[in-house]
Amino acid sequence: MKSLNELIKGLIKENPAFVLMLGLCPFLAVSVSIANGIGMGVAATFVLVCSNVIISAIKNFIPARIRIPCYIVVIATFVTITELVMKAYSPALNRALGIYVPLIVVNCIVLGRAEAFASKNNVRDSLFDGIGMGIGFTLALLLISGIREFLGAGKLFSLTVIKSFEPALVIAMPPGALLVIALLLGFFNLIKGRK
Amino acid sequence: MNNRLTVLSSPHLHSRESVPRIMWTVVACLIPAGAAGVYLFGMPALRTIAWAAVAAVACEWIIQKLTKKKITVTDGSAIMTGLLLAYNLPADVPFWIPVLGSIFAVAIAKHAFGGLGQNIFNPALVGRAFLVASWPKYLTVFTKPGYDAVTSATPLAMLKEGRLAEQIPYLDLFLGRRAGCIGEVCIVALAAGALFLLIRGYISWHIPASFIATVGIFTYIFGPKGFFTGDWLFHILSGGLILGAFFMATDYVTSPPTARGHLIFGVGCGILTSVIRLWGGYPEGVSYAILMMNAATPLIDRFTKPRIYGTAKRKKATGTGV
Amino acid sequence: MDPGQFLAIFISAVFINNVILSRFLGLCSFIAISKQTKPAFAMSLAVMFVTTMSSIITWLIYRFLLIPFNMTYLRTISFILVIATFVQFVEMVIRKIAPAMYRFFGIYLPLITVNCAVLGVAVLNSDMFFVQGKTVPYGFVYSTFQGICVGAGYMLAMLLMSAIRERLETCNVPKPLKDFPLGFIIASIMSLAFMGFNGFRF
Repeated sequence: MKSLNELIKGLIKENPAFVLMLGLCPFLAVSVSIANGIGMGVAATFVLVCSNVIISAIKNFIPARIRIPCYIVVIATFVTITELVMKAYSPALNRALGIYVPLIVVNCIVLGRAEAFASKNNVRDSLFDGIGMGIGFTLALLLISGIREFLGAGKLFSLTVIKSFEPALVIAMPPGALLVIALLLGFFNLIKGRK
Repeated sequence: MNNRLTVLSSPHLHSRESVPRIMWTVVACLIPAGAAGVYLFGMPALRTIAWAAVAAVACEWIIQKLTKKKITVTDGSAIMTGLLLAYNLPADVPFWIPVLGSIFAVAIAKHAFGGLGQNIFNPALVGRAFLVASWPKYLTVFTKPGYDAVTSATPLAMLKEGRLAEQIPYLDLFLGRRAGCIGEVCIVALAAGALFLLIRGYISWHIPASFIATVGIFTYIFGPKGFFTGDWLFHILSGGLILGAFFMATDYVTSPPTARGHLIFGVGCGILTSVIRLWGGYPEGVSYAILMMNAATPLIDRFTKPRIYGTAKRKKATGTGV
Repeated sequence: MDPGQFLAIFISAVFINNVILSRFLGLCSFIAISKQTKPAFAMSLAVMFVTTMSSIITWLIYRFLLIPFNMTYLRTISFILVIATFVQFVEMVIRKIAPAMYRFFGIYLPLITVNCAVLGVAVLNSDMFFVQGKTVPYGFVYSTFQGICVGAGYMLAMLLMSAIRERLETCNVPKPLKDFPLGFIIASIMSLAFMGFNGFRF
């Protein structure tokens, strides 16, 4: 039961992107299309789950004072694996995500979960925490990239939805990313305020 | 609210001026330029202006109704935003362009910040920047004044693409016989409205003068055939410089309050405008320049804050923890 | 060396591809620390220093260690380790020799380790100024200059934003938009304004 809680808390209650406001850099930068969003979500989830598991497994061997560098080494290892796999099997996606793939290293979600959760909990809970947070991040990415792809390019999953719809190109550009997340956050606050 | 509100020391002057009075005066002073635009570009211009103004007012009314605030649509500020936005658009755009622009301007650039008096950026310009970035194909097609409504590039765009075959007579630029946005083309009409505002003291000369002078000097120095060969008069008369300098850069809310701040603001606008015109990707930079200086206004305010009488001038700006 | 190239790097890093407003690097610190001008200024000074130094160090590592030994796939891991070590080192040095300065921006230094802007500029440099495993002419100078400019872009956005937010303190912003959402709206409009420099050619 506890594991299940760890899993689902990341989806809404502690959604990393919208509630904890972590990992916003890749979140805004790659959310131009749903395909990119899913790619980034899956990559981040993979790194998150693996590093959570490893860190919680070795937490007792790491001296407290140098724990952060140790976490970073673990995380960077998995990021490098992701980078190489992506380069080999999906070069187009790798090009689209650009520098934001290596930057998963400094993604606050990964390090934040390592420090706040994996270093204090057992492997099983950390695994579920990683999966939950990863899915939460991916869902948030799906939401924002869906909105941006629809409004900014008039498409969903790269398919034209409404023929006569004239997309607002700005939504696919950086100002649009900032605008969409601002309005989404405002909308969530509004709902929270109503309750 | 907390007590961070700074009230300057007395004397506080009382004046008969009120927000609605100022706003409606400015709106009235904008009418000649709009009328000239309608005369030059025909009915499409009138339609665009009407859509923008109506949408701005309606959007303000709806937002104030929904948020249960005092309804202040009659203070003239919403209609001014709508007018200024329309003046910055080509005449022949689909109706939803001015409507969406007005909604964006009023909702995002004004009411998200708490309404009139608290917005950081000029709402009309935010609306325009949003439209240009979103639907560039509608915002960069201009019709030449006249009955046959041929599409044509603006003089600045022709200059940028090196297609300015022959000199456009200054008189044509002055009267507005050129392609361009609805409210920016007729310099005479703009000048008439601006003159009234200046004489009655609604706007001070500092921002427009420093803005226009900076553009003139800058474009003269960095001319096409080497230093000091620029056609400064052309640069002053074309584009949205006159409209921007007198009616948008001088907005009370989004520009600094002191004379020194005005000068910094105007010179900054002038430099940014010229840099974008001469080397940027867009032919015209007035609206972006004003927006950037809007963003810098709180910073300018910090450094030009009037010293309270009787207090010593601080020796050193220690990171200015004012 | 082409002076136009320097201007292009400057305009691109500060305005067009502003590290925060367009590349979204260092966004977390941008939103979190931009409530007041003084800490924002301290933070941006610290970031500028670290981006410059890390550009230099990572360039040297990439050029003289990773490329000769054919280990460029270790880029991410080596860069982040070097940056983390460097930041720790600087923190220790500052604490020892300049306690006043440490108080001024010491608390922001550890945060910089995980500031994406620092790693971002290192990765960008290695993408931009190395072509097929070889450095472009004057790549070292360009990299260093880009480090400075990215820091300057960070500072520009931070200063503008913090001054705006200080002013908004006294305003009655709609409640759902308070703080973060409005911060993003301001950033969005600033980003729109900086688009005016798009297509800059000198």
